[in-house]
Amino acid sequence: MSDLPRLPLTVIGGYLGAGKTTLLNRLLAEDHGQRVMVMVNDFGAINIDADLIEKAEGDTISLTNGCVCCTMGNDLFMALGDALDRRPRPDHLVVEASGIADPAKIAMAARAEPEMAYGGIAVVVDAVNWPALADDPQIGAQMQGQAAVADMLLVSKATDGLPAGLEARLAALSPAPVVDLATVDAVAPLLLGGITPGAAQAPRRAHPGYVGWAHDGTEVLDRAALEALVAAAPEGVYRIKGKVLGPEGAHELHVVGRTVDIKPTTAARTTLVAIGLDGRVTQGDIADWWRDAVG
Amino acid sequence: MSSITVFKARNIITMDRNRPQATHVAVREGRILAVGGVDCADQWGAVSHDDSLADTVLMPGFVEGHCHMAETVFWEWAYAGYHDRTDPDGRLWRGKTDIETVIADLRAHLATLPDDAPLIAWGFDPIFLEAERLNRSHLDAVSDTRPVVVLYSSGHLMCVNSPALAAVGYERHSNIEGVMRGSDGEPNGELQEMAAMFPVMRRMGMDTRTRSHRPDHVRAFGRICQRVGVTTATDLFALLTDETAQTLSATTAEPGYPVRVVPAVSTIHSSPEEVRAQIADLARLNHDNLRIGPVKLMTDGSIQGFSARVKWPGYVGGQPNGIWNMAPDEIFATCELMQAAGIQMHIHTNGDEASELVLDALERAARKHPWPGARHVLQHAQMMGPALFARAAEMGVCVNLFANHIWYFGDQHAALTIGEDRAARMDACRAALDAGVHMAIHSDAPVTPMSPLFTAWCAVNRQTMSGRTLGAAQCISVEEALRAITLGAAHTLKMDDEVGSIETGKRADFAVLGDDPTLVDPATLHHVPVLGTMTGGYLNLL
Ligand SMILES: [Zn+2]
Repeated sequence: MSDLPRLPLTVIGGYLGAGKTTLLNRLLAEDHGQRVMVMVNDFGAINIDADLIEKAEGDTISLTNGCVCCTMGNDLFMALGDALDRRPRPDHLVVEASGIADPAKIAMAARAEPEMAYGGIAVVVDAVNWPALADDPQIGAQMQGQAAVADMLLVSKATDGLPAGLEARLAALSPAPVVDLATVDAVAPLLLGGITPGAAQAPRRAHPGYVGWAHDGTEVLDRAALEALVAAAPEGVYRIKGKVLGPEGAHELHVVGRTVDIKPTTAARTTLVAIGLDGRVTQGDIADWWRDAVG
Repeated sequence: MSSITVFKARNIITMDRNRPQATHVAVREGRILAVGGVDCADQWGAVSHDDSLADTVLMPGFVEGHCHMAETVFWEWAYAGYHDRTDPDGRLWRGKTDIETVIADLRAHLATLPDDAPLIAWGFDPIFLEAERLNRSHLDAVSDTRPVVVLYSSGHLMCVNSPALAAVGYERHSNIEGVMRGSDGEPNGELQEMAAMFPVMRRMGMDTRTRSHRPDHVRAFGRICQRVGVTTATDLFALLTDETAQTLSATTAEPGYPVRVVPAVSTIHSSPEEVRAQIADLARLNHDNLRIGPVKLMTDGSIQGFSARVKWPGYVGGQPNGIWNMAPDEIFATCELMQAAGIQMHIHTNGDEASELVLDALERAARKHPWPGARHVLQHAQMMGPALFARAAEMGVCVNLFANHIWYFGDQHAALTIGEDRAARMDACRAALDAGVHMAIHSDAPVTPMSPLFTAWCAVNRQTMSGRTLGAAQCISVEEALRAITLGAAHTLKMDDEVGSIETGKRADFAVLGDDPTLVDPATLHHVPVLGTMTGGYLNLL
């Protein structure tokens, strides 16, 4: 196994024109302090702001293309390998999936690959056009499929709050949290997690609009106990990551939405961070969950 | 004045109606100077006679309109398929009809590898093996100390042994989609889809992305073609970088290189605008044996994978309709952009819904940017019927039908995918020709082995693996099938002015055969021996 930290992979899905590139540009413009590598797999949308790339000095940002199309199309996956082999290794890899792609097929690679960590599937849902796309006889099933596999549904182009009909429809497809992109003032916590695990941080609000929680302790949990504990996390928590001591070696934990990625690691202490959306969960809820769970 | 060589043959099948048969062909400067009898070139000056091919039958070099150079990468590995298959060097790999043979052959192959190299095999097809599914204990019997990886022919699955599982850390707790488990809860070695397969591929050196354009692979591709009489072949989803395009150009320019390669650049790897610019740039590398120019679009999936987009009534098992690899909007936009740019498109459409939608897109593009000579080609087009063929003919759109599917997958299509009626009229060569469509037929190698005479046999006989005739009404004549693998395919590549027939002015590209395909029993057309090829006047006998 490599000594380097695992590379978290976040996949951004959503149809052409839904706002995936806008979201990426927003991410790159934010002051999140991470070296983010971006892979764009949607040729409809390669107009990443050159200015942003300039501005984000020190960040490793490169645009490559891949494909997840057919039996011959393993290029995108091999490009993930290129990202892993890059030195210095980026802190986070973000893949913009093509408009029609199933983002889960890409994201699953992060759970399978020992040197990667699961960073989640964010599907951008265009409030104006998505309902019609979801009913389209040609691509409706693929559009609904994207929403169904999302760990978080990010609604774009909503001018006056989330349309109730849209929210209900998305809720029927997926238990993932639905976030109105117009109401969050930072997207890095959604896409990257935004807090470096292990860094000694006092519990604090990670960012306005978000609730952050951090823990540093010596709890020892076996894998089954850890899985059970994560399954009982408060609903408004959409990201948990960190390291947990175990009876036979430590676990590295990445939880995004309902997806849990646990891989072996080494650690001296149990350190965790969690993020939720303000208004849906409180720091107290998260602290209570942890205290109750570990007894 | 360059020299003139007059080759004598037992028969020359020209595909030129002015002189359908001949006994002699004169070659000068790599081109056909004259066709006819022994004196055919005498009026051009002094000739030398070459009777070394006097016992052979010459045909125009075959044109494979849909194959992939990636086949050569697979031949770095061991072949584990059900059917016999010949590698680029002519070695016959026996088909493996049970798991015991797979294990025994792989064990023998392992002994030929360097001590620490993993064993990688390809082409395994579980559909044809009745026994239990291949699992890791079978492959542990091949080696329990070195990684063993068996790729399935579908490309969507692999089976690996315990050392390979250990290398990627898959164990009983790995809750990873695609990492299959046995009844004991442990991973059983079967890995499904790329996400689960890629960690293995990454560690076992199985990154195939641009390997097929390296010189040794380009040469191996030439040998594959030469063995089956092919002198013009496509690479129909090429990922070309500046560097690989250079090596491809240099290697195909080597004297005597036996095949003219037509790479169709994939539009999915970058934006249509970038593709257009890339083609304009790379075309400077072109020469007689390299024809960068067209593009390839992937629209839907495959019928046997239930991912083709099919019209009502869908799949017989009630499976949901297939998936689009490009959104219909993107298909329309890309077709328009390529049409406007004057770039010919080879468009993968398996299901009839995909074929119909692409015809709609091409029609719209043609209204906006009229281009009578576009000759876009629907590739596979396996479910098109008379109405869609009529539309294609009206628009000058060509089809390249997947005739090999009838033998390899016909029984499955009738029983499991689209059902009896539609299977009986799939890859409908008769209907296409009757509608006046320019038609080619293909192997899609490495999906099925490249061999145009076998492909022609499929179109003539429509026999399946079980021995039945699937849709006799769609059979075509030997003459029509031979035309499809020569002039028909040349037309789809816009090379019918240069290759595809043996007539004065064309390239001296011949398939050298041991028997006469027009005289043998049509049921044995695929047994006609191929002795080699001539390409641009260079003789490459096996
Ligand atoms: Zn193909």
